[in-house]
Amino acid sequence: MGGQACILYGAAEFSRDLDLTVGIDAENIKTIKHALSELEAKLIFVPDLDIAALQRGHACHFRCNSSGAEGLRIDLMSKIRGCPDFPQLWERRAEISLPEIGEIGLLSLPDLIQAKKTQRDKDWPMIRRLLEADWLQSRSNPETAQVSFWLMECRTPALLVELTQKYPEEAGMLVAHRELLEVALRGDLQSLELSLRKEEDLEKEKDRLYWAPLRAELEKWRREKHWKKS
Amino acid sequence: MRNHENIFNKDVQSAPLSEPDDWALLSPEERYIESGKLWAVYLNLGGSLDPEPDSQSPFDFEENERAIPADGRSGVHFIRRGGI
Repeated sequence: MGGQACILYGAAEFSRDLDLTVGIDAENIKTIKHALSELEAKLIFVPDLDIAALQRGHACHFRCNSSGAEGLRIDLMSKIRGCPDFPQLWERRAEISLPEIGEIGLLSLPDLIQAKKTQRDKDWPMIRRLLEADWLQSRSNPETAQVSFWLMECRTPALLVELTQKYPEEAGMLVAHRELLEVALRGDLQSLELSLRKEEDLEKEKDRLYWAPLRAELEKWRREKHWKKS
Repeated sequence: MRNHENIFNKDVQSAPLSEPDDWALLSPEERYIESGKLWAVYLNLGGSLDPEPDSQSPFDFEENERAIPADGRSGVHFIRRGGI
């Protein structure tokens, strides 16, 4: 679901870790624990690998120690802000076959883009690159749903103007869901950049609010861990 | 991957994109292989797999994100010892 997924979808990224979205039924947690033990993975932060914590939206962080994977960081999450629960994410996944690995499931592109709408500045250029890559790959013969997806998510001002010029009817119908399409339809690049910034700031604020109670919980667990150690 | 900002898409002659289209137009398998090569070089150069400190991350705690520079070495070192 992280940088590795961005690479596979065509955005240029250098990722040093592996972020996985996981189902959290008891059986799956058992399988995950087994896989982590094969990788000699050690928990490096709070919380412990725990169904309730994952259900609330926390991530569990590990570092591998097995030969060939030394130092590799693995982060596990099950719940992503703004995305449906795991069963639906799994249903919507993309499947891809990789050399020496075989078939893997990837978060669908719309879900990956939603997952990247975080409070971190560095995630936003990635959304832009993911959309551009998708457009480059499918622009010659896009499906209607894909055009709507580009119109709703694109963050490259000039491309957005181009899309609204090419698909004015679709853009007009979507204005009610994304106000800045009206600005794009006028071809006003300067105002469009400002509108995109406003959209980004709003999502960042939503993400900060979403994480505030979770972060407080992390602080509490962290203090308890220190207290137990000392 | 090889160039930087404002690459012009030649087919459509329009939208300036964030990066050239050759990377995006590789197959996922090809990108996976190329990315693996980059990883090998990075690790051979002593690159760290620890995340860089990120004050905007909800997981920005010192235990979780060890601040080790990408070359794995300390950022501050003696150029010359003793004397002036």
